[in-house]
Amino acid sequence: MIEVFFDSILYVFLFLTLYLEIFFLITFFEERLKLAVKSTTDKLSYYPSVTIIVPCWNEEKTVSKTVHSILKLKYPKDRLEIFVVDDGSTDNTWKVVQEFANNPQVKLFKKENGGKHTAVNFGIEKSKSELIGCLDADSFVEKDALHEIATAFNEDPKMMAGIPTIIIHEPKTILQKMQKTEYHNIAFFKRMLSPLDAIHITPGPFSFFRREVFEKIGLFKKAHNTEDMELALRMQSNHMRIRNVHTARVYTTAPESLHKLYRQRLRWAYGGMKNTLDYRFMLFRREYGILGMITLPLSLFAVVIFLYNFSFVAFHAIQAVVEKATEISTVGFLFAIPTASPFFFNTEFMAILSYIFLGLGLVIMWNGVKLAEGRFRPSMGILYFIALYGIVAPIWFTRAIVNVLFSRATSWR
Amino acid sequence: MKNIRAQIETKKYVFAFVITAVVFFSALLISNIFSRNRIAEVKSIEDKIAMDILSSETQFALLKESSCKSIDHGGTAFSEELGVLAARLSYMEEKLGDNDEEVIGLKKYYSLLQIKDYLLVEQVRQKCGVKPLTIIYFYSNLGDCEDCKREGYVLTKLREEFPELRIYSFDYNLDLSAVKTMRSIQGVKNKLPALIIWDENYYGFKTAEDIEKIIPQLKRIRAEREKEEATKSATSSKN
Repeated sequence: MIEVFFDSILYVFLFLTLYLEIFFLITFFEERLKLAVKSTTDKLSYYPSVTIIVPCWNEEKTVSKTVHSILKLKYPKDRLEIFVVDDGSTDNTWKVVQEFANNPQVKLFKKENGGKHTAVNFGIEKSKSELIGCLDADSFVEKDALHEIATAFNEDPKMMAGIPTIIIHEPKTILQKMQKTEYHNIAFFKRMLSPLDAIHITPGPFSFFRREVFEKIGLFKKAHNTEDMELALRMQSNHMRIRNVHTARVYTTAPESLHKLYRQRLRWAYGGMKNTLDYRFMLFRREYGILGMITLPLSLFAVVIFLYNFSFVAFHAIQAVVEKATEISTVGFLFAIPTASPFFFNTEFMAILSYIFLGLGLVIMWNGVKLAEGRFRPSMGILYFIALYGIVAPIWFTRAIVNVLFSRATSWR
Repeated sequence: MKNIRAQIETKKYVFAFVITAVVFFSALLISNIFSRNRIAEVKSIEDKIAMDILSSETQFALLKESSCKSIDHGGTAFSEELGVLAARLSYMEEKLGDNDEEVIGLKKYYSLLQIKDYLLVEQVRQKCGVKPLTIIYFYSNLGDCEDCKREGYVLTKLREEFPELRIYSFDYNLDLSAVKTMRSIQGVKNKLPALIIWDENYYGFKTAEDIEKIIPQLKRIRAEREKEEATKSATSSKN
């Protein structure tokens, strides 16, 4: 009886998950012609003035590369300025950035440490540009990324923020390769959420805002260490349009160890749920469109659904491993090798659903890679993602739920 | 600010829902079709075994007064067939559950076939004086027999290694009068797993070594087989 109860919940969750995958694939089908449009490198009729803020805190190793990548952007030099804001670094960051002291495009600022959002706000307040963006000091951009973003702003005067496609730069560890595929998937969903006006994060690396956004709704706020989500939700609650410019590519480095990844994702998952709770008035409200009906409910409940489905899979996997171990210890390894026969191929309802999920997942991954990289290239990251993500993600999801329930805040680092 | 947000038509929500429902229920349907095919496969194996037993019984009746050598029911092929059936049935039981009506029906049929085979083997034994290698095994999967799973692994291993060995496995709790009669004739107590080897009842988990001690012929068969293989490989290396 209890089993039937838990199975029924699982079926409802699986149905919901399948529904969402299909919903986004229909959107993909609707959008596919627009996705095929190649990025343009033609001159723009108008180049809006742009400020790119580089907030840094102990980034001596990467900040120089980041600023150089901005200087290489294909954009008129007199229309682009760079604000490097040292947020009270205790290493040699300030010394390193002095190499740009005589560059007329770069302005260097040093302030007391107050957290990333204070460094960005510092830059916003000093800026007079029409478009203001930010680039974390661990990221760098493709040459025509700003050109692409500016094109999108020119084409849509109602667009208030433009977010890029983020790609993991030169992944080395298995975890980084797994994250590369994860970012490709995120690229797919971001692009699909864009025409639906349902983007709920304006990520730190290379998101751009019209300056009137800050004039109308204020600067970044301290918001559960996920300020980029809070600002996006504040914009959405004020019906300000956020669009994904998938042809603008920015590269970022991924956490290389499980511990660093855990810290980052715990912050994201916790911040995601807490911010959604702060903006709960938008939940299930049709006036907020897909954001209210799908994105926000997902950011609150997806963790629970994921963990529930994971527990089910884990329970059965552990049961199977224990049984196999018992069999091997009883009769030895050779006699425990299963008989190869189509009869024993798993065709239970749950197994068939898993094959469907895997198939749809591969379609999403395939198109995610195409969107992010321009064309599909098979990589080990896909295998690592399929094999590992379901095992590692529950670690931070579980902790995030505990933290939300007991209101334990997460830290940036 | 004015709401310029893209509003999604109800049509799209409904369309996605319909496709999801179709995919979801197709998965259910496909799974059922596979299950039905499996059941049909198991049934056909059972029918074949039933036919074999009937054929052997008829042969036995016809040759009552003749030579024992002519009776073709002691070979390894039949035992292997029973083994294949047992493996498939146990898989179905695991996947569809112990309470599935179809599975219970197949299990009852399988149990009856085993009893018929057992009786036939007994008759051959009495008439011809051969001592067949048989094990009767009673198990339970109600969760009250911790060692039944392990005993099952041991018996499957023995069955694979010694096709000469006939293993009859019965669910102690199966609601079938023939199995209940078998249980009472053999005097099996509810202390599972229970093995009956040459009219002697053994309770509790028995390893393959324990069983080989009770049936010393198994060791002899293995030794002979190893000797044969050694001769074969010696001959082939000479060539």
